[in-house]
Amino acid sequence: MRMRNALAATLSVLAITAGLGLNSAAAEELKIWTLSFDNESANVAWQKIIKEFETANPDITISLENRSVDEHKAALRVAAQSSQGPDIFFMWAGLGLGGEFVNAGLSQPLDKYYDAYGWDKRLVGTAGSFSKIYEGGRHGVPYTFHGEGIYYNKALFEKAGITQLPATYDELKANAAKLKEAGIPAMTFGGTVNWHLMRLMDVILEAKCGAEKHDALMAMKVDWSTDACATASFQELNDWSQNYILSPFMGIDNSQSFNLFLAGRAAMMLEGDWLVSQLRNENRLADFDLFPFPTGTDRLYGFAEYLYVSSKSGKADAAAKFLDYMLSDTVQQDNLGAFGSISINSNVKYEKIDPLDQKWMDIFGKYTKIYMNGDQAFPLDVTTEYFRVINEVASGNIKPDAAGKAMQSFIANR
Amino acid sequence: MSKARLSLRPSTQGYVLLAPALIVYLLFAVYPMIDVIRMSFSAWNGLSPKAKFVGVANYRAILTQDPVFWGALWNTLIWTATAVIVPNLIAFGVALALNQNIPGRSSLRIIFYLPVIIASIAVATIWKWMYDPFFGLFNGLLTSWGLTGLIMDWLGDKRIALWSVFVAHVWQSVGFSMVLFLAGLQSVSTTLIEAARIDGAGRWGVFRYVMLPALVPTITVVFVLSLINSLKAFDIVYGMTGGGPAQSTQMLAMWAYTQSMQLGVFGRGAAVSVVLLMITLVVVIPYMRWMFKREDMGR
Amino acid sequence: MKMFSQAFRPVGSNKVDPVLVALWIAFILLAIIWITPFMFIVFTSLKSNSTVMGSSAFSPPTELAFGNFVAAWNRGNFSTTAFNGIVITFIKVPFGLLVSAMAAYALAKVPMRMNKALFALFVFGTMLPFQVMLAPIFRQVNAFGLINTYPGIILPYLAFGIPYQVFILYGFFSAVPKELSEAARIDGASHFTIFRRIFLPVSLPVLSALLILDFVATWNEFAMALVILQDPRMWTLPLGLMNFQSQFQSDYGQLNAAIIMTVLPAAIVYLMFQRYFVSGLTSGAVKE
Repeated sequence: MRMRNALAATLSVLAITAGLGLNSAAAEELKIWTLSFDNESANVAWQKIIKEFETANPDITISLENRSVDEHKAALRVAAQSSQGPDIFFMWAGLGLGGEFVNAGLSQPLDKYYDAYGWDKRLVGTAGSFSKIYEGGRHGVPYTFHGEGIYYNKALFEKAGITQLPATYDELKANAAKLKEAGIPAMTFGGTVNWHLMRLMDVILEAKCGAEKHDALMAMKVDWSTDACATASFQELNDWSQNYILSPFMGIDNSQSFNLFLAGRAAMMLEGDWLVSQLRNENRLADFDLFPFPTGTDRLYGFAEYLYVSSKSGKADAAAKFLDYMLSDTVQQDNLGAFGSISINSNVKYEKIDPLDQKWMDIFGKYTKIYMNGDQAFPLDVTTEYFRVINEVASGNIKPDAAGKAMQSFIANR
Repeated sequence: MSKARLSLRPSTQGYVLLAPALIVYLLFAVYPMIDVIRMSFSAWNGLSPKAKFVGVANYRAILTQDPVFWGALWNTLIWTATAVIVPNLIAFGVALALNQNIPGRSSLRIIFYLPVIIASIAVATIWKWMYDPFFGLFNGLLTSWGLTGLIMDWLGDKRIALWSVFVAHVWQSVGFSMVLFLAGLQSVSTTLIEAARIDGAGRWGVFRYVMLPALVPTITVVFVLSLINSLKAFDIVYGMTGGGPAQSTQMLAMWAYTQSMQLGVFGRGAAVSVVLLMITLVVVIPYMRWMFKREDMGR
Repeated sequence: MKMFSQAFRPVGSNKVDPVLVALWIAFILLAIIWITPFMFIVFTSLKSNSTVMGSSAFSPPTELAFGNFVAAWNRGNFSTTAFNGIVITFIKVPFGLLVSAMAAYALAKVPMRMNKALFALFVFGTMLPFQVMLAPIFRQVNAFGLINTYPGIILPYLAFGIPYQVFILYGFFSAVPKELSEAARIDGASHFTIFRRIFLPVSLPVLSALLILDFVATWNEFAMALVILQDPRMWTLPLGLMNFQSQFQSDYGQLNAAIIMTVLPAAIVYLMFQRYFVSGLTSGAVKE
């Protein structure tokens, strides 16, 4: 078995080198599609990495296209039917969002490149493991690995007399009530981008339903309408939105909510580790601290982002070469902190990092399991309905028990 | 070369002149319309190579199972009904005023028409910013007037979001109808008005018995044009709310787009399109018959 | 006060009408409301973000942050989107008018089978909302392999622009007296020659009105571009603005600078050619 694998690996390396040799005559253009990241340093890092790669590989040129989240999804769907698509594309990992594109045959398996370049040896295990969850081979390579938690304004916590960070969900609610008493809205969300408020629903589900039930709900294997914890979670969401979220929130987006958070208009924000970098850009690191959302389970709220090679690309070898460069120790070390707090490369050294980054390091070290954002767990159409139901509940338009029914009837009708 | 052309039969020459326009029109406007009807009877996710025939399943799905469709249909209808009345009444008033002998007419006309030539998406962006709940114009004004009780989440509150968008639409569309009304008013003969006045007709009498009858064709045209324009409301909603909050400002045209291009359920999106197409035809076909009848009478 | 000497007097009267004066004042107020959004946009575009968040919404800017315009130009990729808009508009508009004029001439002046039916087919197109069928248009353009290309957006633009222009030009050509072309026909001139030498020149006023209208419509178009131009390098100004809005909604000053830069070209064209707008709109829609 091992023998055969080794043979296959050697053969594929030969094939790759042969392929590269053939292609090097004419410069190849690789098209990469990613998001336009809110975090400016990620955009800068991409440009820098591409320039360095092109200098090192004069036979390959790279064009990078950035879009906002919804447009990126739409564009990929469109690309599936035309020859205009990318060679490498960004997409979340997981059976929902990523799975839809992989299962539709948009991504090509990268097993031979995993073997040839030995990527597993340098990847952080949890980050790389997502490549194995698809059928028909290993798809994509990790680009980032993110955790999400609660950032809080230290001064406002102090003002409200909160001396101890919450260890349970109930304590968190108690803190929110304290903040409310002190006249401080506890949290801020932007409602126009549906996925922002969704985060609150996700973490409440984890807290109220527990890991197993939460997963079953997201896999649509448990009835949303009859399960008490689903209704209870919607109830909690409604409670938060009526009492503890900086209002109005349905008419603003996530970046506006971040502005308000910076301006001290609300005490907490449920955000990913990338916010550290945004706070650094604003020169405001000292004013904030963070903790994981207390759910009572042993899982961290987070997800992985992947870079996939399109099945339509005829330049897989060049694409793999770029991905190998992207995953390399030097690139990951040089751009540490640009994409997220931690690197997906396990050889990276962390020195002289900001206290908030250290916090994330500790959190990542503590947890071994994660639960994903709802829009990455659900298929697209269910996500759309999930958004709608969450917004309705948060605006108080439908009752928590009716929310579960709406979810279930949509799922049943698919 | 010119000889060869000359030898073509006159009708052939006509077809040659007609061909480019007709071909482009058939290929990119008429064919998609047929395609959307065909597509509404199939299931296709935009990713697999082939579409599958499913009969009326898509229609059944949007009519009985889609939690958004009926809201979007209702929004489209109520929006259309009000969009036909409100901006046109304002436009009619403005046109009547501009038709009077008042100073500054031309600059006033420019002011009312300016929003029309601005891209709808820019109008959406402008108003979205004015509606900003924290730093926008409206809540800023209300605060400074001490009316903090009236402060609202204009685009985030389900009860008013659609109407907030509608106000922006009114701002943008008044100028268009105004110009048409003005042209209609200017075609009303002044001698008739003077004659009526000499006969002792008052302000209302002149309006009711001289101007209004002469304006009927203009009113019909404005009515139909704004009806069609509002049925296809897309840009302004897309730019201001994206259909939110909780799909409460969703419209048929945008829901068809969302289903097809964003969620990848092309069949259902097509079924929504066909519903909207049918509603449009209910208006367009009688109007076309009316127009052709008028044309024939004119000959 | 010469301007006022004849003002406020209704037709056939030489007394100042008090109702008209009251109406005029109310009307000026309405006009002020109408222009307020523009003022607000200009004010915000000249403020820094901290001023926007710190001062009252409608206070005039004090610091004149012109940097917003430079920053928005670069972040919003305006050089690309403006260039694409120019290419698309400058090809589509004249070409579409030519093709429409040819077709309108054939329908109005050349006896063919089915003139009437073909004309009706075009008129039908004037009322066909393309927003209804973005997905099938996308499919059709994609079938030709033209997604993210100039022809890919220009062809559907033509398809949905031609009907209205044919409709208007047909009306115009029909009204041209027979004598004008008949003499030429007897001299043995072909329809091509008559169209080029006689009809094209006489229709110049209508054509220029349509040109201006179509320029603004094409320049501003959003929905079709949204589905066909997926590549940011192919985006037009409205797409660029939409993207800017969804990405930098919280950079208020820059966002408003971006709005102004998007809106300005069409506004200038309008102010320069406003009399054509009116005649273009009304020549077809309202026939006396």
